[in-house]
Amino acid sequence: MAKPQSMIEQVRSSVAVEFVRKRKPTLRRDKKAKKKAKHYAKHHRPKKAAFFRYCYYDPAFKFFVEQVLDVDYLPLPEATRQTTEVGVQNSSDYVCTPYKHILGDFVEALDLGADLVIQFGGPCRLGYYGELQESTLRDMGYEFEMLNFARGIEKGYLGWAKEVLSTANPDIDIPHGVVKLKGTAKMMEHLDAVRDYFLAHGGFECTRGSFDKAWNAYMNELRCATDERDINQAYKHVMEQFADIEIQKPANPIRIGIVGEMFTAIDERSNLGLDHKLMDLGVEVHRMLNFTNRYLHYNEPNLRVGAKDYITYDMGPTSTLTIAAAKQYAQSGFDGIIHAKSAGCTPEIDCIPVLQKVSEDFGVPILYLTYDSQTSDTGLDTRLEAFYDMLAMKKEKLS
Amino acid sequence: MPEKAPWADVFVVGIPRSLLYYRFGVLWTTFFEALGRHVVVSEATDKAIADRGEQLSVDECCLASKVFMGHVDSLVGRCDAVFVPSYPTADHRSGFCTKFQSVTDMVRNTFRDKHLEVISCEVGNVRKMRDVRRPFEEMALRMGVSRADAHKAFKTAWSAQAAHDKACNEAQERVLRQLVAERRSAATQPLKQPPLGILVVAHPYIAHDTYLSGAVLDALRDMGAQVVFADALDHDHTYKKSFEFSDTMPWIINRELIGAILSVEDKVDGIVLISAFPCGPDSMTDDAIMRCIQGKPILNLMIDAQSGTAGVETRVESFVDILRFQQKGGYTHG
Repeated sequence: MAKPQSMIEQVRSSVAVEFVRKRKPTLRRDKKAKKKAKHYAKHHRPKKAAFFRYCYYDPAFKFFVEQVLDVDYLPLPEATRQTTEVGVQNSSDYVCTPYKHILGDFVEALDLGADLVIQFGGPCRLGYYGELQESTLRDMGYEFEMLNFARGIEKGYLGWAKEVLSTANPDIDIPHGVVKLKGTAKMMEHLDAVRDYFLAHGGFECTRGSFDKAWNAYMNELRCATDERDINQAYKHVMEQFADIEIQKPANPIRIGIVGEMFTAIDERSNLGLDHKLMDLGVEVHRMLNFTNRYLHYNEPNLRVGAKDYITYDMGPTSTLTIAAAKQYAQSGFDGIIHAKSAGCTPEIDCIPVLQKVSEDFGVPILYLTYDSQTSDTGLDTRLEAFYDMLAMKKEKLS
Repeated sequence: MPEKAPWADVFVVGIPRSLLYYRFGVLWTTFFEALGRHVVVSEATDKAIADRGEQLSVDECCLASKVFMGHVDSLVGRCDAVFVPSYPTADHRSGFCTKFQSVTDMVRNTFRDKHLEVISCEVGNVRKMRDVRRPFEEMALRMGVSRADAHKAFKTAWSAQAAHDKACNEAQERVLRQLVAERRSAATQPLKQPPLGILVVAHPYIAHDTYLSGAVLDALRDMGAQVVFADALDHDHTYKKSFEFSDTMPWIINRELIGAILSVEDKVDGIVLISAFPCGPDSMTDDAIMRCIQGKPILNLMIDAQSGTAGVETRVESFVDILRFQQKGGYTHG
C-alpha cells in the first residue's frame, strides 16, 4: 500500500509566544459585550440572519428564518473559490473540511451585511464548530450574534428553544413558530423526496438539462413558500413536471449508491458535483443519507438491527446509516457504492474497515473518496469514469 | 433466544495497552481480576507493534488508533478474548472522540478472519459511577458471573481507579510545589539557575506511551526541565475549571487538559502540547489554546509515525531556549 502524503514530514510544530496576557483565557465574550448583546437582542432585533451553504436545503433555511424566527433572511450567492480560501486561511490545517467551508460562508455572509449567523450542533466535531468559529470570527474583527444549536442541547428541546428566544428574537409567537417548524420539517422531507427522484431518473433524460430546469423552478417556488399549503403545491408541481420529462432508461441500468458523511456526500460544492457527474455518466444514483433519514426519521437502534452482522454499537453520527445503507445497496444488487467523506472525518474513516467487509461479502465494489479543499475536479472525473467503466465491464460479463 | 452467557468460557482477558487503557486501565484490570479472570496486558508500544498497526488500519486513521490495532494484533493467540469497550458521547459535555465509540466494531471487523473474540460493553457517562457500573455488570453477567459478584468487583475496581488517579495527581502536585519552592530559593540566590517547569498537555495515551512521546519528554528532561502532566491532575477539578474556557466543548479529556492549563498556568514556565497526527479533537482545541491562552509560551508538536528524534529535539531545544532567555530578563525588559 502506498504511503500517504502525511508520512513524509515527521514532525509539525508551531510556537506561540506571548508573555503578556492581553486577553482572558477563554473562548467566551467578555461580560460587558455579552450584556450589550443581550440588550441589543431584546430591544433591537437582528436585521439579517444567514445560514451557511448546505446542499439544497437553502429554501428550508429561508423558511425557518422567516417563518419561525421571524427575522429577515440573507440568501448567499453561489460559493466561489475565494469563499473556501478565506475559510482555509482562518482555520487550523487538520480540522475537517466542512469547518473550513462553513467559516468561509460566514465571513461572506457577514461581509454582505448579516448580523446573525446560524450554526448546527452535532455529536462529532460538529458540536464544537460553532463556538470556535464564533471566536475566530470575533478575533477577525466581526461583530455579530451566533445562534449556535450546540448550546442548550444538554437541556433538551426546552434549552434549545430558550437559546433561540434569547439570541434570535425574543418576540417569537411560540404557537405560530411551532406550526411553522413543522412546515420546515415538511419542506425538508419534500426536498429529499424530490431529490431522490431526481437522482434516480436524472441520468436518463432525453433533453439535457430538463430535470435541472424543473429542479431549479421547484427551488424558486419553495423560496416563495410561506405555509404548508405552498409547500405541498410546489411538491405537486415539480412531481408533475418530472413525470412529463421524457426519459430513456435502459432495462438494467448501472446503479450506484452514495454513502458517507453528512456534509460532503450531499453538498455538491464540497463533493465537486458528484451527483451531476454520476448522472452525466448515465447512472441511477441512490442516496439514503439525507436530512430526513438522519434527523426526522432517524431511529438508530432499529437501523442498526439491519446491519447487526457487522456492527454491535452505534459507531458515530452517521455511521449506522452509512453501513446499513451500504448493506442494503449490496443486498439489492447495486453495481457499486461510493463512500464520500471529507479529509479527517474520524467516524467515517472508522466505517471503512466495516465497509470493506461488506464489499468482501457481497462482492460489490466500493469507491472511497476523500475530499479536502484542494481536491481536483479533473482527478475526480478520471476516477469516476474508471469506476464506471469497471462496473460496466463487470455487468457485461455477468449478463 | 440469544445465549445467556456467551462469554462464560473467557478466562484470560487481553487488554491492549493503548488509547483509554491509560485512562481507565486500573478499573478494567481490577474488575476482571476481581471476577477471577486472568488479565494479559499487551507489552509497551514498540516499532513492531506500531508497524503492524499501520498495516492493519486505514491510512487516514490517527497515529494512536493505528498503534491500538497493533496492540490488539499482539494479543491474538495470547488470550481467550480481547476487551475493547465502547465509550460513546453519552453526555454532551463529557463525551469522547468518536474513535472510542467505534473502536469495538472496528476491531471486530478488522480481525474477523482471525476469529478473535471481543468482549465489550457500551459505557455511559464516565463521570457518573452508576452509568459506568451498569454496563460493566451486564458484561459480567454475560461472562457467567452473578450480579452480586459483579457489583462487588466493580466497587473494588472503581475505588482502585480512584486511588490510582489520586496518587497520580499527588505526584504532579508534588512537582508543582517543588517548582514553586525552588523558584523562591533561586530568587534569593542570584547564582542559582531557576527551575524550568513545563506543562505537558497531551491525551494520556500519548503522554504516557514512551514510544510516541518519549522523545519529547527525554529532550525536555535533558534540557533540565521539570515535567508536569496535565492529564494526571485532579480530573474533577480540571473538568469543572474548563467551563471557564469553553461552553460547548464535547470531549471530556480535552476539557480536563484545558482545565489543567487554566489551573496551573501560573506555576509553570511553558506549555508543550503534543498530539498524534491527525487527532480530531486536538485539531480544534489546539487552535483555540494557541490563540486564547496567553502569558506563557506554547509549543505545539504534532507527532507522526516515529522514526527520528532529531526533529523533535531541535524544536524542544529552541523552545527551552526561549524560556531560559525569558528567565534571564527576556525580550520584555528592554
